[in-house]
Amino acid sequence: MPRTLHGRGIVKGQASGPALVAQEAVSFLGDVDIRSGAIVGDLPSVRNANVRGRVLIMPYTRGSAGAWRFLYQLFKHDNHPVALVIGSLPDPSVVQGAILAGIPIVCELDHDPVACIANGAMVRVDGDTGTVDIR
Amino acid sequence: MQLSDSEKKMLDGGDGEAKRVAMEGLVQLGEAFGAERMVEIGYAHVHAGMALYLHDVELIEEIAGKGARMAVPTSTNIANADMEGWRLTGAPEKLARLQRRAQTAHESMGSACSFTCTPYWAGHWPTWNTHMTSIESTVTIFCNSVLGAKSNRDGYFAVYAAVAGRYPMFGYHLDANRLGTHRFRAIGEITGTSDFSCLGFHIGSIAGDGVPVIEGLRRRPTLDELDALGAGMATSGGVTLFIIPGVTPPYADVAQSFGGVRPPEAAVVGRAEIDEVYRRFCTATDQGFDIVHVGCPHASLEEMRDYARLLSGRKVAAGVEFWITTSRAVRTAAREQGLLAPLEAAGAKVISDTCPISCHFARTVSPDPALGVAPPPIRAVVIDSAKQAKYVRDMIRCDTLLTGTEEAIATALQGRFVPRQRAS
Repeated sequence: MPRTLHGRGIVKGQASGPALVAQEAVSFLGDVDIRSGAIVGDLPSVRNANVRGRVLIMPYTRGSAGAWRFLYQLFKHDNHPVALVIGSLPDPSVVQGAILAGIPIVCELDHDPVACIANGAMVRVDGDTGTVDIR
Repeated sequence: MQLSDSEKKMLDGGDGEAKRVAMEGLVQLGEAFGAERMVEIGYAHVHAGMALYLHDVELIEEIAGKGARMAVPTSTNIANADMEGWRLTGAPEKLARLQRRAQTAHESMGSACSFTCTPYWAGHWPTWNTHMTSIESTVTIFCNSVLGAKSNRDGYFAVYAAVAGRYPMFGYHLDANRLGTHRFRAIGEITGTSDFSCLGFHIGSIAGDGVPVIEGLRRRPTLDELDALGAGMATSGGVTLFIIPGVTPPYADVAQSFGGVRPPEAAVVGRAEIDEVYRRFCTATDQGFDIVHVGCPHASLEEMRDYARLLSGRKVAAGVEFWITTSRAVRTAAREQGLLAPLEAAGAKVISDTCPISCHFARTVSPDPALGVAPPPIRAVVIDSAKQAKYVRDMIRCDTLLTGTEEAIATALQGRFVPRQRAS
Protein backbone atom coordinates (compact mmCIF):
# COMPACT_ATOMS: atom_id res chain seq x y z
CA MET A 1 0.00 0.00 0.00
CA PRO A 2 1.38 3.45 -0.88
CA ARG A 3 2.18 5.75 2.06
CA THR A 4 1.53 8.85 -0.02
CA LEU A 5 -1.22 9.42 -2.56
CA HIS A 6 -0.94 12.13 -5.19
CA GLY A 7 -3.94 13.91 -6.67
CA ARG A 8 -5.33 17.33 -7.45
CA GLY A 9 -5.57 19.76 -4.59
CA ILE A 10 -8.71 21.70 -5.50
CA VAL A 11 -9.27 23.50 -2.19
CA LYS A 12 -6.13 24.86 -0.57
CA GLY A 13 -4.94 24.34 3.00
CA GLN A 14 -3.48 21.60 5.21
CA ALA A 15 -5.12 19.44 7.85
CA SER A 16 -4.53 16.19 9.72
CA GLY A 17 -6.82 13.76 11.46
CA PRO A 18 -7.99 10.18 11.71
CA ALA A 19 -9.55 8.90 8.50
CA LEU A 20 -13.26 8.18 8.22
CA VAL A 21 -13.67 6.07 5.09
CA ALA A 22 -17.09 5.97 3.44
CA GLN A 23 -17.47 3.30 0.79
CA GLU A 24 -20.57 5.09 -0.53
CA ALA A 25 -21.06 8.53 -2.11
CA VAL A 26 -21.91 11.20 0.46
CA SER A 27 -24.48 14.00 0.15
CA PHE A 28 -23.87 16.78 2.64
CA LEU A 29 -27.54 17.69 2.30
CA GLY A 30 -29.20 14.90 4.19
CA ASP A 31 -26.45 12.41 5.07
CA VAL A 32 -24.79 14.40 7.87
CA ASP A 33 -26.60 16.07 10.79
CA ILE A 34 -25.25 19.62 11.09
CA ARG A 35 -26.07 19.86 14.79
CA SER A 36 -23.97 16.84 15.78
CA GLY A 37 -21.76 15.85 12.84
CA ALA A 38 -23.31 12.37 12.95
CA ILE A 39 -23.84 10.38 9.77
CA VAL A 40 -27.61 9.97 9.53
CA GLY A 41 -27.96 9.00 5.86
CA ASP A 42 -28.15 5.49 4.49
CA LEU A 43 -24.38 4.89 4.35
CA PRO A 44 -23.82 1.38 5.76
CA SER A 45 -19.99 1.64 5.87
CA VAL A 46 -20.02 4.63 8.23
CA ARG A 47 -23.32 4.14 10.05
CA ASN A 48 -23.36 5.97 13.42
CA ALA A 49 -19.94 7.49 12.79
CA ASN A 50 -19.22 11.19 13.28
CA VAL A 51 -17.39 13.39 10.76
CA ARG A 52 -16.18 15.89 13.36
CA GLY A 53 -12.39 16.30 13.27
CA ARG A 54 -11.98 13.45 10.76
CA VAL A 55 -10.44 13.36 7.31
CA LEU A 56 -13.47 12.18 5.37
CA ILE A 57 -12.64 9.84 2.50
CA MET A 58 -15.28 8.96 -0.12
CA PRO A 59 -15.47 7.72 -3.71
CA TYR A 60 -17.54 10.68 -4.97
CA THR A 61 -20.15 13.20 -3.81
CA ARG A 62 -23.84 12.91 -4.53
CA GLY A 63 -24.99 16.14 -6.14
CA SER A 64 -27.12 18.76 -4.51
CA ALA A 65 -27.14 22.49 -5.19
CA GLY A 66 -27.54 23.05 -1.43
CA ALA A 67 -24.47 21.07 -0.34
CA TRP A 68 -22.36 24.21 0.24
CA ARG A 69 -24.68 25.45 2.98
CA PHE A 70 -24.62 22.19 4.89
CA LEU A 71 -20.84 21.93 4.73
CA TYR A 72 -20.56 25.53 5.92
CA GLN A 73 -23.12 24.87 8.67
CA LEU A 74 -21.10 21.86 9.88
CA PHE A 75 -18.15 24.24 10.16
CA LYS A 76 -20.16 26.90 12.00
CA HIS A 77 -21.39 24.28 14.46
CA ASP A 78 -17.81 23.02 14.84
CA ASN A 79 -18.83 19.58 13.62
CA HIS A 80 -16.99 19.61 10.29
CA PRO A 81 -14.52 17.14 8.81
CA VAL A 82 -11.04 18.73 8.76
CA ALA A 83 -10.35 17.69 5.17
CA LEU A 84 -11.98 15.80 2.28
CA VAL A 85 -10.31 13.20 0.08
CA ILE A 86 -12.59 12.30 -2.83
CA GLY A 87 -11.97 9.79 -5.61
CA SER A 88 -13.52 11.92 -8.33
CA LEU A 89 -14.13 15.65 -8.85
CA PRO A 90 -16.89 16.69 -6.44
CA ASP A 91 -20.01 18.74 -7.12
CA PRO A 92 -19.32 22.52 -7.55
CA SER A 93 -21.49 23.23 -4.53
CA VAL A 94 -19.26 21.04 -2.32
CA VAL A 95 -16.20 22.96 -3.55
CA GLN A 96 -17.87 26.30 -2.74
CA GLY A 97 -18.78 25.14 0.77
CA ALA A 98 -15.29 23.78 1.41
CA ILE A 99 -13.62 27.02 0.30
CA LEU A 100 -15.97 29.01 2.58
CA ALA A 101 -15.28 26.72 5.51
CA GLY A 102 -11.54 26.39 4.82
CA ILE A 103 -11.72 22.60 4.43
CA PRO A 104 -8.97 21.39 2.05
CA ILE A 105 -9.95 18.92 -0.71
CA VAL A 106 -7.74 16.55 -2.68
CA CYS A 107 -9.41 14.54 -5.46
CA GLU A 108 -8.61 12.52 -8.60
CA LEU A 109 -5.73 10.62 -6.93
CA ASP A 110 -3.24 8.14 -8.41
CA HIS A 111 -4.64 5.39 -6.16
CA ASP A 112 -8.18 4.74 -4.97
CA PRO A 113 -8.25 6.44 -1.54
CA VAL A 114 -11.21 4.37 -0.38
CA ALA A 115 -9.18 1.18 -0.93
CA CYS A 116 -5.80 2.51 0.27
CA ILE A 117 -6.73 4.26 3.49
CA ALA A 118 -7.83 2.31 6.56
CA ASN A 119 -10.54 3.67 8.77
CA GLY A 120 -8.93 5.45 11.72
CA ALA A 121 -5.47 5.79 10.13
CA MET A 122 -3.82 9.15 10.76
CA VAL A 123 -3.85 11.11 7.50
CA ARG A 124 -2.34 14.43 6.52
CA VAL A 125 -3.94 16.28 3.59
CA ASP A 126 -2.24 19.08 1.70
CA GLY A 127 -4.63 20.89 -0.63
CA ASP A 128 -1.83 23.07 -2.01
CA THR A 129 0.34 20.21 -3.28
CA GLY A 130 -2.42 17.63 -3.77
CA THR A 131 -0.78 15.05 -1.50
CA VAL A 132 -2.29 12.74 1.08
CA ASP A 133 0.17 11.20 3.60
CA ILE A 134 -0.89 8.10 5.52
CA ARG A 135 0.97 7.62 8.81
CA MET B 1 -6.27 30.19 -15.22
CA GLN B 2 -5.56 33.08 -17.58
CA LEU B 3 -6.65 36.30 -15.90
CA SER B 4 -7.00 39.72 -17.51
CA ASP B 5 -5.19 42.72 -16.03
CA SER B 6 -8.36 43.94 -14.33
CA GLU B 7 -8.98 40.45 -12.87
CA LYS B 8 -5.39 40.26 -11.62
CA LYS B 9 -5.85 43.64 -9.98
CA MET B 10 -8.95 42.35 -8.17
CA LEU B 11 -7.09 39.22 -7.06
CA ASP B 12 -4.16 41.29 -5.78
CA GLY B 13 -6.43 43.46 -3.67
CA GLY B 14 -6.12 46.56 -5.84
CA ASP B 15 -9.90 46.96 -5.90
CA GLY B 16 -10.43 46.37 -2.20
CA GLU B 17 -10.86 43.47 0.16
CA ALA B 18 -14.33 42.37 -0.98
CA LYS B 19 -13.27 41.94 -4.62
CA ARG B 20 -10.07 40.21 -3.52
CA VAL B 21 -11.98 37.63 -1.48
CA ALA B 22 -14.50 37.18 -4.30
CA MET B 23 -11.87 36.73 -7.01
CA GLU B 24 -9.78 34.39 -4.85
CA GLY B 25 -12.81 32.12 -4.39
CA LEU B 26 -13.77 32.24 -8.07
CA VAL B 27 -10.20 31.41 -9.18
CA GLN B 28 -10.11 28.36 -6.88
CA LEU B 29 -13.50 27.25 -8.22
CA GLY B 30 -12.41 27.81 -11.82
CA GLU B 31 -9.16 25.89 -11.36
CA ALA B 32 -11.00 22.99 -9.72
CA PHE B 33 -13.21 22.68 -12.81
CA GLY B 34 -10.55 23.34 -15.42
CA ALA B 35 -11.79 26.77 -16.52
CA GLU B 36 -9.30 28.50 -18.79
CA ARG B 37 -10.53 32.03 -18.10
CA MET B 38 -13.20 34.20 -16.52
CA VAL B 39 -16.22 35.57 -18.35
CA GLU B 40 -18.02 38.85 -17.63
CA ILE B 41 -21.49 38.24 -16.30
CA GLY B 42 -24.56 40.40 -16.85
CA TYR B 43 -26.80 39.31 -13.99
CA ALA B 44 -26.65 37.53 -10.62
CA HIS B 45 -29.29 35.90 -8.43
CA VAL B 46 -27.71 35.51 -5.01
CA HIS B 47 -28.10 34.07 -1.53
CA ALA B 48 -30.41 36.09 0.70
CA GLY B 49 -28.67 35.24 3.97
CA MET B 50 -30.88 32.78 5.84
CA ALA B 51 -32.06 33.59 9.36
CA LEU B 52 -32.82 29.94 10.15
CA TYR B 53 -29.16 28.91 9.82
CA LEU B 54 -26.43 29.77 12.28
CA HIS B 55 -24.15 32.61 11.14
CA ASP B 56 -25.72 32.74 7.68
CA VAL B 57 -27.11 36.31 7.76
CA GLU B 58 -23.69 37.24 9.18
CA LEU B 59 -22.05 35.76 6.08
CA ILE B 60 -23.81 38.44 4.00
CA GLU B 61 -23.04 41.12 6.58
CA GLU B 62 -19.36 40.16 6.49
CA ILE B 63 -18.94 40.64 2.75
CA ALA B 64 -21.00 43.86 2.91
CA GLY B 65 -18.73 44.98 5.76
CA LYS B 66 -15.71 44.48 3.50
CA GLY B 67 -17.14 47.20 1.26
CA ALA B 68 -18.68 44.91 -1.37
CA ARG B 69 -20.82 46.49 -4.09
CA MET B 70 -22.64 44.40 -6.67
CA ALA B 71 -20.94 44.89 -10.04
CA VAL B 72 -23.98 43.68 -12.01
CA PRO B 73 -27.80 43.78 -11.59
CA THR B 74 -28.40 41.43 -8.66
CA SER B 75 -31.59 39.90 -7.26
CA THR B 76 -31.84 38.10 -3.92
CA ASN B 77 -33.21 34.59 -3.39
CA ILE B 78 -36.04 33.49 -1.12
CA ALA B 79 -35.54 34.07 2.62
CA ASN B 80 -36.64 32.46 5.89
CA ALA B 81 -39.36 34.94 6.91
CA ASP B 82 -41.81 37.43 5.42
CA MET B 83 -40.04 40.57 6.58
CA GLU B 84 -43.25 42.59 6.48
CA GLY B 85 -46.01 40.05 7.20
CA TRP B 86 -44.19 37.60 9.48
CA ARG B 87 -47.05 37.71 12.01
CA LEU B 88 -49.32 36.07 9.40
CA THR B 89 -47.06 33.03 9.41
CA GLY B 90 -46.64 32.69 13.17
CA ALA B 91 -42.88 33.32 12.95
CA PRO B 92 -41.17 34.69 16.06
CA GLU B 93 -40.41 38.41 15.82
CA LYS B 94 -36.71 37.79 16.55
CA LEU B 95 -36.48 35.65 13.42
CA ALA B 96 -38.02 38.39 11.26
CA ARG B 97 -35.68 40.98 12.79
CA LEU B 98 -32.61 38.85 12.03
CA GLN B 99 -33.87 38.27 8.49
CA ARG B 100 -34.24 42.05 8.06
CA ARG B 101 -30.54 42.47 8.84
CA ALA B 102 -29.78 40.54 5.65
CA GLN B 103 -31.94 42.99 3.73
CA THR B 104 -30.03 45.94 5.23
CA ALA B 105 -26.72 44.34 4.22
CA HIS B 106 -27.98 43.66 0.69
CA GLU B 107 -29.25 47.23 0.37
CA SER B 108 -25.79 48.52 1.23
CA MET B 109 -24.33 46.38 -1.58
CA GLY B 110 -26.87 47.58 -4.11
CA SER B 111 -28.77 44.28 -4.50
CA ALA B 112 -32.37 44.51 -5.66
CA CYS B 113 -34.04 43.12 -2.53
CA SER B 114 -36.42 40.82 -4.36
CA PHE B 115 -36.26 37.86 -1.91
CA THR B 116 -37.89 35.46 -4.33
CA CYS B 117 -37.28 32.23 -6.24
CA THR B 118 -38.89 33.84 -9.35
CA PRO B 119 -36.90 37.05 -9.87
CA TYR B 120 -37.98 37.08 -13.53
CA TRP B 121 -41.58 37.87 -12.49
CA ALA B 122 -40.04 40.73 -10.49
CA GLY B 123 -38.39 42.22 -13.57
CA HIS B 124 -35.02 40.42 -13.78
CA TRP B 125 -35.06 39.08 -17.32
CA PRO B 126 -31.60 38.13 -18.63
CA THR B 127 -31.53 37.57 -22.37
CA TRP B 128 -29.93 35.16 -24.83
CA ASN B 129 -26.19 34.61 -24.29
CA THR B 130 -26.07 36.61 -21.07
CA HIS B 131 -23.59 34.85 -18.78
CA MET B 132 -24.98 34.88 -15.26
CA THR B 133 -24.94 33.10 -11.91
CA SER B 134 -27.74 31.82 -9.72
CA ILE B 135 -27.98 30.17 -6.33
CA GLU B 136 -31.51 28.94 -7.03
CA SER B 137 -31.70 25.92 -9.34
CA THR B 138 -35.20 26.91 -10.54
CA VAL B 139 -33.85 30.29 -11.64
CA THR B 140 -30.88 28.63 -13.32
CA ILE B 141 -33.05 26.28 -15.36
CA PHE B 142 -35.58 28.98 -16.37
CA CYS B 143 -32.90 31.43 -17.45
CA ASN B 144 -30.99 28.73 -19.38
CA SER B 145 -33.96 27.02 -21.00
CA VAL B 146 -36.52 29.77 -21.59
CA LEU B 147 -34.41 32.90 -21.89
CA GLY B 148 -31.23 31.42 -23.40
CA ALA B 149 -28.94 32.90 -20.74
CA LYS B 150 -25.95 30.84 -19.49
CA SER B 151 -25.79 29.71 -15.88
CA ASN B 152 -24.58 26.87 -13.68
CA ARG B 153 -26.31 25.73 -10.50
CA ASP B 154 -24.32 27.76 -8.03
CA GLY B 155 -24.16 28.10 -4.28
CA TYR B 156 -22.86 30.94 -2.14
CA PHE B 157 -20.32 31.88 -4.82
CA ALA B 158 -23.08 33.65 -6.78
CA VAL B 159 -22.37 36.49 -4.32
CA TYR B 160 -18.67 36.43 -5.27
CA ALA B 161 -19.57 36.46 -8.97
CA ALA B 162 -21.91 39.43 -8.42
CA VAL B 163 -19.20 41.35 -6.55
CA ALA B 164 -16.47 40.59 -9.10
CA GLY B 165 -18.74 40.75 -12.16
CA ARG B 166 -17.00 37.58 -13.34
CA TYR B 167 -17.51 33.81 -13.36
CA PRO B 168 -15.12 31.04 -14.41
CA MET B 169 -15.88 29.59 -17.86
CA PHE B 170 -17.00 26.02 -17.20
CA GLY B 171 -20.13 23.90 -17.26
CA TYR B 172 -23.16 25.49 -18.91
CA HIS B 173 -21.19 28.62 -19.82
CA LEU B 174 -19.64 26.57 -22.63
CA ASP B 175 -21.80 25.90 -25.70
CA ALA B 176 -20.34 22.39 -26.01
CA ASN B 177 -22.16 21.44 -22.78
CA ARG B 178 -25.48 22.92 -23.91
CA LEU B 179 -26.61 20.02 -26.09
CA GLY B 180 -29.26 17.36 -25.58
CA THR B 181 -28.46 14.05 -23.87
CA HIS B 182 -31.97 12.60 -23.42
CA ARG B 183 -35.02 12.75 -25.69
CA PHE B 184 -38.67 12.75 -24.62
CA ARG B 185 -41.85 12.86 -26.71
CA ALA B 186 -44.91 14.26 -24.95
CA ILE B 187 -48.29 12.81 -25.87
CA GLY B 188 -51.84 13.89 -25.06
CA GLU B 189 -53.19 17.00 -23.39
CA ILE B 190 -50.90 18.53 -20.78
CA THR B 191 -52.22 21.73 -19.30
CA GLY B 192 -51.71 23.97 -16.29
CA THR B 193 -48.71 24.52 -14.06
CA SER B 194 -49.30 21.51 -11.80
CA ASP B 195 -49.34 19.06 -14.73
CA PHE B 196 -46.17 20.64 -16.10
CA SER B 197 -44.52 20.46 -12.68
CA CYS B 198 -45.31 16.72 -12.53
CA LEU B 199 -44.06 16.23 -16.10
CA GLY B 200 -40.83 18.00 -15.15
CA PHE B 201 -40.46 15.90 -12.01
CA HIS B 202 -40.81 12.70 -14.04
CA ILE B 203 -38.34 13.84 -16.73
CA GLY B 204 -35.79 15.01 -14.13
CA SER B 205 -35.87 11.66 -12.37
CA ILE B 206 -34.80 9.99 -15.64
CA ALA B 207 -32.50 12.66 -17.09
CA GLY B 208 -30.50 13.15 -13.85
CA ASP B 209 -27.90 15.79 -14.59
CA GLY B 210 -28.33 15.45 -18.36
CA VAL B 211 -30.01 17.81 -20.84
CA PRO B 212 -33.50 16.57 -21.77
CA VAL B 213 -34.93 17.53 -25.17
CA ILE B 214 -38.73 17.57 -25.17
CA GLU B 215 -40.75 17.38 -28.37
CA GLY B 216 -44.39 16.70 -29.17
CA LEU B 217 -46.06 19.29 -26.92
CA ARG B 218 -49.35 20.25 -28.60
CA ARG B 219 -48.81 23.94 -28.02
CA ARG B 220 -46.14 26.30 -26.76
CA PRO B 221 -46.39 26.16 -22.96
CA THR B 222 -47.17 29.43 -21.18
CA LEU B 223 -44.36 31.16 -19.27
CA ASP B 224 -45.86 29.91 -15.99
CA GLU B 225 -45.99 26.35 -17.36
CA LEU B 226 -42.35 26.56 -18.50
CA ASP B 227 -41.39 27.77 -15.03
CA ALA B 228 -43.23 24.85 -13.41
CA LEU B 229 -41.68 22.36 -15.85
CA GLY B 230 -38.14 23.49 -15.04
CA ALA B 231 -38.75 23.61 -11.29
CA GLY B 232 -39.94 19.99 -11.40
CA MET B 233 -36.84 18.82 -13.31
CA ALA B 234 -34.41 20.73 -11.11
CA THR B 235 -36.01 19.09 -8.05
CA SER B 236 -36.03 15.40 -8.99
CA GLY B 237 -32.76 15.57 -10.91
CA GLY B 238 -29.83 17.89 -11.35
CA VAL B 239 -31.18 19.23 -14.64
CA THR B 240 -29.65 22.64 -15.40
CA LEU B 241 -30.92 23.09 -18.97
CA PHE B 242 -33.85 21.58 -20.87
CA ILE B 243 -34.45 22.12 -24.55
CA ILE B 244 -37.87 22.49 -26.17
CA PRO B 245 -37.01 23.01 -29.84
CA GLY B 246 -38.62 26.23 -31.06
CA VAL B 247 -38.84 27.58 -27.50
CA THR B 248 -35.32 27.31 -26.04
CA PRO B 249 -32.89 29.70 -27.78
CA PRO B 250 -31.26 28.99 -30.17
CA TYR B 251 -32.58 25.48 -30.88
CA ALA B 252 -34.97 25.35 -33.84
CA ASP B 253 -35.40 21.58 -34.09
CA VAL B 254 -34.44 18.22 -32.58
CA ALA B 255 -31.40 17.75 -34.82
CA GLN B 256 -29.91 21.08 -33.74
CA SER B 257 -30.68 20.28 -30.09
CA PHE B 258 -28.31 17.31 -30.27
CA GLY B 259 -25.62 19.26 -32.14
CA GLY B 260 -25.83 17.21 -35.30
CA VAL B 261 -25.18 13.94 -33.45
CA ARG B 262 -27.81 11.27 -34.12
CA PRO B 263 -30.55 11.82 -31.48
CA PRO B 264 -31.37 8.89 -29.17
CA GLU B 265 -34.75 7.14 -29.25
CA ALA B 266 -37.45 9.23 -27.58
CA ALA B 267 -39.11 8.10 -24.34
CA VAL B 268 -42.86 8.74 -24.44
CA VAL B 269 -44.28 10.82 -21.57
CA GLY B 270 -47.89 11.73 -20.95
CA ARG B 271 -50.89 11.37 -18.65
CA ALA B 272 -49.76 8.10 -17.05
CA GLU B 273 -46.38 9.49 -15.96
CA ILE B 274 -47.94 12.76 -14.73
CA ASP B 275 -50.62 10.94 -12.73
CA GLU B 276 -47.96 8.75 -11.14
CA VAL B 277 -46.26 11.88 -9.72
CA TYR B 278 -49.59 13.10 -8.29
CA ARG B 279 -50.06 9.67 -6.70
CA ARG B 280 -46.53 9.62 -5.30
CA PHE B 281 -47.13 12.88 -3.43
CA CYS B 282 -50.63 12.07 -2.16
CA THR B 283 -49.37 10.38 1.00
CA ALA B 284 -51.97 11.44 3.57
CA THR B 285 -54.33 8.53 4.19
CA ASP B 286 -57.06 10.17 6.25
CA GLN B 287 -56.93 13.30 4.03
CA GLY B 288 -56.73 15.57 7.06
CA PHE B 289 -54.61 18.65 6.34
CA ASP B 290 -53.63 21.93 8.00
CA ILE B 291 -52.43 24.14 5.16
CA VAL B 292 -53.35 24.63 1.51
CA HIS B 293 -50.56 26.30 -0.44
CA VAL B 294 -50.26 27.70 -3.97
CA GLY B 295 -47.42 29.79 -5.39
CA CYS B 296 -44.41 27.46 -5.75
CA PRO B 297 -42.33 28.74 -7.43
CA HIS B 298 -43.45 32.22 -6.25
CA ALA B 299 -46.57 33.23 -8.19
CA SER B 300 -46.52 35.50 -11.22
CA LEU B 301 -49.01 38.36 -11.63
CA GLU B 302 -50.94 36.17 -14.09
CA GLU B 303 -51.24 33.47 -11.44
CA MET B 304 -52.39 36.07 -8.89
CA ARG B 305 -55.09 37.07 -11.37
CA ASP B 306 -56.19 33.42 -11.68
CA TYR B 307 -56.30 33.03 -7.90
CA ALA B 308 -58.39 36.22 -7.57
CA ARG B 309 -60.83 34.97 -10.21
CA LEU B 310 -61.28 31.66 -8.39
CA LEU B 311 -61.55 33.16 -4.88
CA SER B 312 -63.38 36.45 -5.50
CA GLY B 313 -66.61 36.66 -3.48
CA ARG B 314 -65.95 33.30 -1.76
CA LYS B 315 -64.65 32.27 1.64
CA VAL B 316 -61.92 29.87 2.67
CA ALA B 317 -63.48 27.11 4.82
CA ALA B 318 -63.33 27.50 8.59
CA GLY B 319 -60.22 25.95 10.10
CA VAL B 320 -58.27 25.93 6.80
CA GLU B 321 -55.04 27.92 6.53
CA PHE B 322 -54.65 29.02 2.88
CA TRP B 323 -51.32 30.45 1.74
CA ILE B 324 -50.46 32.20 -1.51
CA THR B 325 -46.72 32.85 -1.80
CA THR B 326 -45.23 35.38 -4.20
CA SER B 327 -42.54 38.04 -4.45
CA ARG B 328 -42.83 41.51 -2.95
CA ALA B 329 -42.81 43.00 -6.44
CA VAL B 330 -45.73 40.86 -7.60
CA ARG B 331 -47.62 41.39 -4.33
CA THR B 332 -47.25 45.15 -4.79
CA ALA B 333 -48.40 44.95 -8.41
CA ALA B 334 -51.35 42.78 -7.37
CA ARG B 335 -52.30 45.31 -4.72
CA GLU B 336 -52.18 48.15 -7.24
CA GLN B 337 -54.37 46.20 -9.65
CA GLY B 338 -57.01 45.46 -7.04
CA LEU B 339 -56.22 41.73 -6.91
CA LEU B 340 -55.07 41.59 -3.31
CA ALA B 341 -58.27 42.87 -1.71
CA PRO B 342 -60.53 40.04 -2.98
CA LEU B 343 -57.90 37.43 -2.02
CA GLU B 344 -57.59 38.76 1.51
CA ALA B 345 -61.39 39.18 1.81
CA ALA B 346 -61.72 35.49 0.92
CA GLY B 347 -59.39 34.65 3.83
CA ALA B 348 -56.21 33.89 1.87
CA LYS B 349 -52.84 34.81 3.40
CA VAL B 350 -50.69 36.44 0.72
CA ILE B 351 -47.11 35.95 1.88
CA SER B 352 -43.90 37.16 0.28
CA ASP B 353 -40.14 36.62 0.82
CA THR B 354 -40.63 32.99 1.93
CA CYS B 355 -42.82 29.86 1.56
CA PRO B 356 -43.80 26.82 3.69
CA ILE B 357 -40.51 24.95 3.15
CA SER B 358 -38.35 28.09 3.46
CA CYS B 359 -39.94 29.39 6.67
CA HIS B 360 -39.79 28.19 10.27
CA PHE B 361 -41.94 25.13 9.40
CA ALA B 362 -38.78 23.34 8.21
CA ARG B 363 -37.30 20.80 10.60
CA THR B 364 -33.91 20.50 8.89
CA VAL B 365 -32.67 23.98 9.85
CA SER B 366 -30.29 24.94 12.67
CA PRO B 367 -31.15 28.40 13.98
CA ASP B 368 -29.60 30.15 16.94
CA PRO B 369 -31.61 28.77 19.91
CA ALA B 370 -32.04 32.34 21.19
CA LEU B 371 -34.46 33.04 18.31
CA GLY B 372 -37.06 30.78 19.89
CA VAL B 373 -37.96 29.02 16.65
CA ALA B 374 -40.30 26.04 17.05
CA PRO B 375 -41.85 24.40 13.99
CA PRO B 376 -45.64 24.00 14.47
CA PRO B 377 -47.18 20.52 14.25
CA ILE B 378 -48.49 20.00 10.71
CA ARG B 379 -50.32 16.84 9.60
CA ALA B 380 -50.33 17.44 5.86
CA VAL B 381 -49.98 20.23 3.29
CA VAL B 382 -52.18 20.43 0.17
CA ILE B 383 -50.03 21.68 -2.66
CA ASP B 384 -50.10 22.26 -6.45
CA SER B 385 -46.36 21.92 -7.13
CA ALA B 386 -44.23 18.77 -7.28
CA LYS B 387 -41.20 20.81 -6.15
CA GLN B 388 -42.90 22.04 -2.99
CA ALA B 389 -44.33 18.55 -2.38
CA LYS B 390 -40.88 16.93 -2.49
CA TYR B 391 -39.37 19.45 -0.08
CA VAL B 392 -42.38 19.48 2.27
CA ARG B 393 -41.73 15.77 2.70
CA ASP B 394 -37.96 16.21 3.13
CA MET B 395 -37.88 19.41 5.21
CA ILE B 396 -41.20 19.80 7.05
CA ARG B 397 -41.36 15.99 7.22
CA CYS B 398 -45.14 15.72 6.99
CA ASP B 399 -47.60 14.23 4.50
CA THR B 400 -48.55 15.93 1.24
CA LEU B 401 -51.62 16.01 -0.98
CA LEU B 402 -50.58 17.08 -4.49
CA THR B 403 -53.30 18.34 -6.81
CA GLY B 404 -54.02 20.95 -9.52
CA THR B 405 -54.13 24.70 -8.83
CA GLU B 406 -57.91 25.02 -9.28
CA GLU B 407 -58.42 21.87 -7.21
CA ALA B 408 -56.17 23.22 -4.43
CA ILE B 409 -58.26 26.38 -4.29
CA ALA B 410 -61.46 24.29 -4.33
CA THR B 411 -59.94 22.32 -1.43
CA ALA B 412 -59.42 25.53 0.53
CA LEU B 413 -62.98 26.68 -0.15
CA GLN B 414 -64.64 23.34 0.62
CA GLY B 415 -62.39 22.24 3.47
CA ARG B 416 -62.19 18.81 1.82
CA PHE B 417 -59.38 17.52 -0.41
CA VAL B 418 -60.14 17.72 -4.15
CA PRO B 419 -57.76 15.54 -6.17
CA ARG B 420 -56.50 16.55 -9.63
CA GLN B 421 -59.25 16.00 -12.18
CA ARG B 422 -58.00 14.18 -15.24
CA ALA B 423 -57.69 16.48 -18.24
CA SER B 424 -60.38 15.68 -20.82
